[in-house]
Amino acid sequence: MTPCGGFVYLKTIMGRFLKFLSLLIGIGVIIYVAAPHKPKEGALEKIRKRGYLLWGADAEGGAPYVFPDPENPSKLIGFEVDLANAIAGELGVKAVQSQNAWDSLIPALERGDFDFAMNGIEITRKRKERVLFSAPYYVYTEQLVVRRDDAAIKSVADLKGKKAGTLSGTVAQDILMGMGGVKVKIYSGQVEPYQDLAIGRLDAVLMDLPIAAYYAKPDPRLKYAGPPVGEGLYAIALRKNDTQLKKRLDEILAKLYRTGELQRIYEKWGLWNSKQDKLAAFFKNPGTETLDESRSAPIKNFFPMLLKGAGVTVLISVSSMALAITLGLMLTMLRLYAGPPFDWLATGYIEVYRGTPLLIQLYILYYGLPNIGISLNPVMAAFLGLGMNYAAYESELYRAGINAVPYGQMEAALSLGMTRGLAVKRVILPQAVKIALPGITNDFIALFKDSSLVSVIAMVELTKTYSMLAASTLRFFQLGIITALLYFCMSYPLSLLARRLEKRLKKDRR
Amino acid sequence: MITVRGLHKSYGVAPLFEGLSFQVERGEAVVLIGPSGSGKSTILRCINGLETFDRGEITVAGIELHSINTKRPSREDAERIRKVRLKLGMVFQQFNLFPHMTVLQNVTEAPVRVLGMGRTDAEAEARGFLRQINLEGKADSYPAQLSGGEQQRVAIARALAMRPEAMLFDEPTSSLDPEMAGEVLSVIRRLVAEGMTTMIATHEMGFAREAAGRVIVFDKGAIIETGPPSQIFTSPKVPRTREFLNRVLGRF
Repeated sequence: MTPCGGFVYLKTIMGRFLKFLSLLIGIGVIIYVAAPHKPKEGALEKIRKRGYLLWGADAEGGAPYVFPDPENPSKLIGFEVDLANAIAGELGVKAVQSQNAWDSLIPALERGDFDFAMNGIEITRKRKERVLFSAPYYVYTEQLVVRRDDAAIKSVADLKGKKAGTLSGTVAQDILMGMGGVKVKIYSGQVEPYQDLAIGRLDAVLMDLPIAAYYAKPDPRLKYAGPPVGEGLYAIALRKNDTQLKKRLDEILAKLYRTGELQRIYEKWGLWNSKQDKLAAFFKNPGTETLDESRSAPIKNFFPMLLKGAGVTVLISVSSMALAITLGLMLTMLRLYAGPPFDWLATGYIEVYRGTPLLIQLYILYYGLPNIGISLNPVMAAFLGLGMNYAAYESELYRAGINAVPYGQMEAALSLGMTRGLAVKRVILPQAVKIALPGITNDFIALFKDSSLVSVIAMVELTKTYSMLAASTLRFFQLGIITALLYFCMSYPLSLLARRLEKRLKKDRR
Repeated sequence: MITVRGLHKSYGVAPLFEGLSFQVERGEAVVLIGPSGSGKSTILRCINGLETFDRGEITVAGIELHSINTKRPSREDAERIRKVRLKLGMVFQQFNLFPHMTVLQNVTEAPVRVLGMGRTDAEAEARGFLRQINLEGKADSYPAQLSGGEQQRVAIARALAMRPEAMLFDEPTSSLDPEMAGEVLSVIRRLVAEGMTTMIATHEMGFAREAAGRVIVFDKGAIIETGPPSQIFTSPKVPRTREFLNRVLGRF
């Protein structure tokens, strides 16, 4: 197992946490060994007995593959839905979609969550090591999209030095990263890159043609740039040992192609083109797919990215914590000492920010504000989003701390002729902070981990880097452990620091 | 020095003071006695602006306090109260030393921050006060490391460091055992002897008898009797005073 190199390296930097580490590794190994090694024979038999086919796909922003019908959101539509229904029909059962995030479809498949995954999964060499692929059912291409008024970018070759967006873990990502010199921004949804392109946060977007056909083509602000590039194949992903099921699926796909059913489905979704003629060859000689695999960056190129991601995490956490502390203090002062209307404004702020999900706040800051003409860059949005959210919690901690200081302290300070402000600053706050410190540390560690949420606004921090790397290398386990350790290495010293600080502040209680 | 005239104060619907009036001359040592809840602590807190009142007026060294908007005093009123507090030193039953500061810092904090005194001067003076109360050696200790009696003596030094014109003591020995109370009372006795204007709310009858220039007896928010200790303690005119004294002194 290769991760040992990583472990040994980390051990040496964290000599004194050796015990923690070996414990963690031990748990990891146990989980790994104990993980069920997936199913025995008879996947087909199982489907028949169950009476329906369970197929994995991500319906979230999944047009035109699998997505909720805009007119009847409880119903899923898309060309893969039609295809799954056709396949199930041939098997004599019904098709039921199992919702799963696209990034982790393959781990979920291995876990046994569904019979197979069909969701625009490209055939790549790395994926072939993990899963069994059916014959391809669609020949896809990557389509470059730019703003309508952009004359400078005519093809992928013009992207040097430009900001290009794409979907995490896709072949398009490999193409962009393999080119070098392109500022690649990775998204987990397919709508957001086009939105950011339209408002100027990106210069171009490279994604699979079906996505471009559905989202970008109808958008008057955007246009296609150049011909499609990077031809590749979508196929159904199965567990390694489900060879029987694969054989059956290949037969069914060949039949659907022969009868024109496949073409009918693709035409319905505007996806049919001459490239699909190539499918015939695969159906004649199953297992001979020659992959037009895109250049993929080697994993060692990705490795420094984890550390860079960790750096971004630290930067965002520290700066937004600073904002949270300052803003939180201001809110507390307004709430306790300013009088109306400031006190109820502060209370309102706290209630609203505590009472709504951080994720929604981030979405509104980054994707919502441009609707009213304010476009923040991701760093700013992450800083403000996290900082303003945690300020509400900090403020409540300070208030609890201040309320825990006996009122006699304020009276003594006032009776010495201090103004209220001076008394708060010199007498009340120092005591309140000491009371609030464990909570503040706690919050900082929580913020530190919550910073992974900013990946939804295209910030590539540690968690995002991990999910990107894991999706493209399929090494969820090893990279996951390393990423978790990185987080731990950063947050544990923080607790130690806080403990020392608490001890120092306690010197007057000997 | 301190004049209280026609003071009214109530807690909700329950009235406490209904037209309280008295006067304390410069250099006088006035001891306030009376049952718990009779208003002797409250009047000290009113004089120092820690409690508001409904009607009447209090004058301290020529500065007049009047009834104010309780919730939100105007800037002008707040400043007036602060001026009064600068003339008065206050000592609390619970000491209320600042636990996060050393003894020396407790004593120098207000002179430096409020009066704008230089730190070296303030520390030299503070050490002088600490010497007077025999605690010079504890200058760098924190309050939690001191006994209750020591803490209360530091609290007195802290108040004196502001050079007040009068000192208010709100039951300064009520949370101390008799031995520690003795240490604190001897410090107060010395202040009185030096001619400091003092008002002391206390249950220490022995102290009242020997140190007070005048005794004021409170009952249910009213002054029922006032006079020199020799008269109050030996031949009280008011039956309720006699009852109270019999009760606390345990004689019949």
